Amino acid sequence: MAQIIETQVVVIGGGVTGTGVLRDLAIRGIKAVLVEQEDLGYGTSTRNHGLLHSGSRYVVKDKDAAEEAYRENLILKKILPGVIEETGGIYVKVPEDDDDYVKQWVKANKEIGIPIEEIPVSQALEEEPYLNRKIEAAFRTPDGSIDPFMTLVDVVGDAVSRGAKVLTYHKVVGMITKQNKITGVIVRNHYTGEETEIYADMVINAAGPWAGKVAELAGIPLQMINNKGMLVVFNRRFHKQGLFRLRKPGDAEIFVPGHNVSLFGTTGINTDDPDDTSLDRQEMEGMLAEGMMLVPSIHELRIIRAFSGNRPLYQESADADPTGRNVTRGLALLDHQKRDGVEGFITITGGKLTTFRYMAEVTVDLALEKLGISVPCTSHEEIVPHREANEFFKEVEMAPAAKHKLRNWAGPRAKAIESELKKEETNAVICECEQVTWAEVQSVIPEEGHFNIGDIRCRTRLGMGPCQGTFCNYRVAAIAVEKGVTTSEHADQALRDAINERKKGIGVAATGETAKQLQLMETIYRVSLGLREEEEQHV
Amino acid sequence: MHDLACPEISFDSCLKCNACVVSCPVSNVTLDFGGPKHLGPELKRLIENQEFIDDSRIEFCTLCGNCDMACPENVNVSTLTAFAKASHSELGGSKFRDLILSNAELVGKVASTFAPLANMAMKMKPVRKVMEGVMGIPAERIFPEYRFNNFNRVYNKTTANTHRKVAYFVGCYATYNAPEVAKSFVNVMEYNGIEVAKPKQKCCGVPMFSNGRMKKGLKNANDNVNNLLQYTRQGYDVVLTCTSCTMALKKEYVSFLQSEEANELAEHVYDADEYLRMLYEEGELNTHFGQMNVKAGYYAPCHMKSQGIGTPALDVLGLIPGYEISDAAAGCCGQCGTFGFKKEKYEVSIAIGKQMVEAVEETGADYIVTECGMCKNSMHQLTDKEVKHPMQILSEAYEKAQNR
Repeated sequence: MAQIIETQVVVIGGGVTGTGVLRDLAIRGIKAVLVEQEDLGYGTSTRNHGLLHSGSRYVVKDKDAAEEAYRENLILKKILPGVIEETGGIYVKVPEDDDDYVKQWVKANKEIGIPIEEIPVSQALEEEPYLNRKIEAAFRTPDGSIDPFMTLVDVVGDAVSRGAKVLTYHKVVGMITKQNKITGVIVRNHYTGEETEIYADMVINAAGPWAGKVAELAGIPLQMINNKGMLVVFNRRFHKQGLFRLRKPGDAEIFVPGHNVSLFGTTGINTDDPDDTSLDRQEMEGMLAEGMMLVPSIHELRIIRAFSGNRPLYQESADADPTGRNVTRGLALLDHQKRDGVEGFITITGGKLTTFRYMAEVTVDLALEKLGISVPCTSHEEIVPHREANEFFKEVEMAPAAKHKLRNWAGPRAKAIESELKKEETNAVICECEQVTWAEVQSVIPEEGHFNIGDIRCRTRLGMGPCQGTFCNYRVAAIAVEKGVTTSEHADQALRDAINERKKGIGVAATGETAKQLQLMETIYRVSLGLREEEEQHV
Repeated sequence: MHDLACPEISFDSCLKCNACVVSCPVSNVTLDFGGPKHLGPELKRLIENQEFIDDSRIEFCTLCGNCDMACPENVNVSTLTAFAKASHSELGGSKFRDLILSNAELVGKVASTFAPLANMAMKMKPVRKVMEGVMGIPAERIFPEYRFNNFNRVYNKTTANTHRKVAYFVGCYATYNAPEVAKSFVNVMEYNGIEVAKPKQKCCGVPMFSNGRMKKGLKNANDNVNNLLQYTRQGYDVVLTCTSCTMALKKEYVSFLQSEEANELAEHVYDADEYLRMLYEEGELNTHFGQMNVKAGYYAPCHMKSQGIGTPALDVLGLIPGYEISDAAAGCCGQCGTFGFKKEKYEVSIAIGKQMVEAVEETGADYIVTECGMCKNSMHQLTDKEVKHPMQILSEAYEKAQNR
């Protein structure tokens, strides 16, 4: 017999939109359950630049989206202090770019009130030596870098601390309906196959690229425009600020520094399958060639991996543009009662990482209006616990780099990690590239959850560095077994999944050092550890 | 926070393979050192365009350069650790002791002026106890002796007029502690019809680099580059008898200064045996050596290995009739320049030296041959073998042929 959960609102999708909605509901005192088919941020939310938009990019074409982004930029800097680096951005005009556009852009920024500042080209080049020496103009913008992984974890953590419930690895397989009203969802556990019925007064579809599939379960036609974009990760943080090209938004013109790396992208190709995150070498080559306009030495910089994600775009009159560049980046809030005559069901899609809080606000406003509840939104004032933990780890003996990371990372988990570090015989670093210790890994393994190295990676950066898990993945699996966290059978599977996932991203970028790194990884896992090719799973 | 810009970007190539860690003499005996991979390429990546992270364990890096040789990807690991040392010293300030130790040239000048007194004092237990307490220089550690008749007092030739001309970079050790090595070198060159000039020179900077005094070291480096280029541009070859000075001129100046001048100079720099080996290959070497029935063991200093030129001393000494020499293949001596003179490093220093002792004793040699004065110092401390510089042996072999 299926398990039953009763709540007020079900949120489908553990991306930044869904988690934002969950937090907003929790802040307003509404009981809610979030369900996610895989781990938090499995979809678009972790497959992006990690750019905290200033809005500048959209000022000319989409004023509303630009205004929204700038307003949210300021709010997020305030409410998510531990996950944002206020790097600032530099928009530069290269000779090939249109002078008129620059004028329009400056004017539009002024009209909206986005504080941009022109700086001498010489200064821009001094600050960012990798920039094209031929640039003709440079402007400072309040763009920033936001860590999507940390954002998700912190937003969910805040919601859970306020009473919300989260079920990851639970996929929605059916809707519970009563006449023309959705009254709940049926979810299936990814690992056990067990089903759970969740009854609620309102179901919010925040499934991103899968929003169409979820709507289909409710018998509603919803044509999403899933626009696939590719990004690459450079091995090192070779610039200080976000670097942008000052022209009509196009492909391959944004570099964002984040932690110890730099991310560059993107492309845009519409795809039918929301699970399609395939990578294409040619697409990447084209992107790099275009990127040379901003960073001429781009081919000399080591790329550690590539990835792709699907922008879940939506507009009522579907556009024939296959690049998706002309589809609005604004949010789309669909009231299915009005649109399709189905009660108890709302879809929120479109939008940007930067505007996720606002998307949640309008969604919850609508949901509560329908439920006849009147509680104002305060999610723009409630501050998520900071990641800083400077008062901790003072007496712990460990590598200063690992300690430095924890002090900027541990946040509310600091106390638990510190006491674990004090207990350990050795505080050896498991993931050297990103300075992760076992104590930190242990703090993110869910008590009753499955041992999944990818989930650990998203929460600690384990395996995100240049070696991409060549050395840390087997270490973490071995220690997990030794510590009784998992069985050796599960650890084997987890290792295989993790390595295959990493290999996919490295493979497409494997030239030079990256090719050697991949070879080293293959040698260790296939030759030394005997993980065989035919046992590979699709990930 | 610190204004030392490290121009090195080879860390981008690090595959994390640990070859450098395995080759590191310090990492092999203690876990207190973070290792070359972490304190070199790894840490550099973690601080690029981010907040600086100071790791005091960098003090345990001896700048031996074994990591550079081990790296399959040509990461300049020791350049990165040298700059990490420099940043660490800039932040925390140098200890008085390290200022003294890094100033080998000044110490040499003063100590050789008062040589008998200085040498005596360094052998007096109460004096050494005070030095240990006040300065952290271990009382047990033997110090090299200083010579009143240092090489600067006895040799002042600044030009050469032969076909091949040598500009001799003497180095502090041969100048103040072992003028007999310098004299032997001049003899050996004379036997080959090559005149030796002694250009104006400053301490090569190695003791400064290894004590994190990068700015001072770079100043000396620049001065030496400028002085020596005046010679090389007139057709002189720069030849050295100290492997650490040689490595500095060949490798460290190039990667620390990143200047065209440093590159230009490096092309003309030779280790003394490397130079003789070249003469031999060109058919120019005087091979008129006397018979020497000796069984010797060769000990290659780290700074010889890190030049990547093999073991030229073995190649050249092997030409002496009757001379039997084998490579002790003994790793690092543990003295590591000024490293072994520091109290907090003493234990590690002795632990590193252990394998050298074993290897040296296994050779069953009459005496040990090595180029490095500091390795010699360690060997004095840890073994009862006599230690000679290859130039002393070659000089003897030429003299024997003469007197026959």
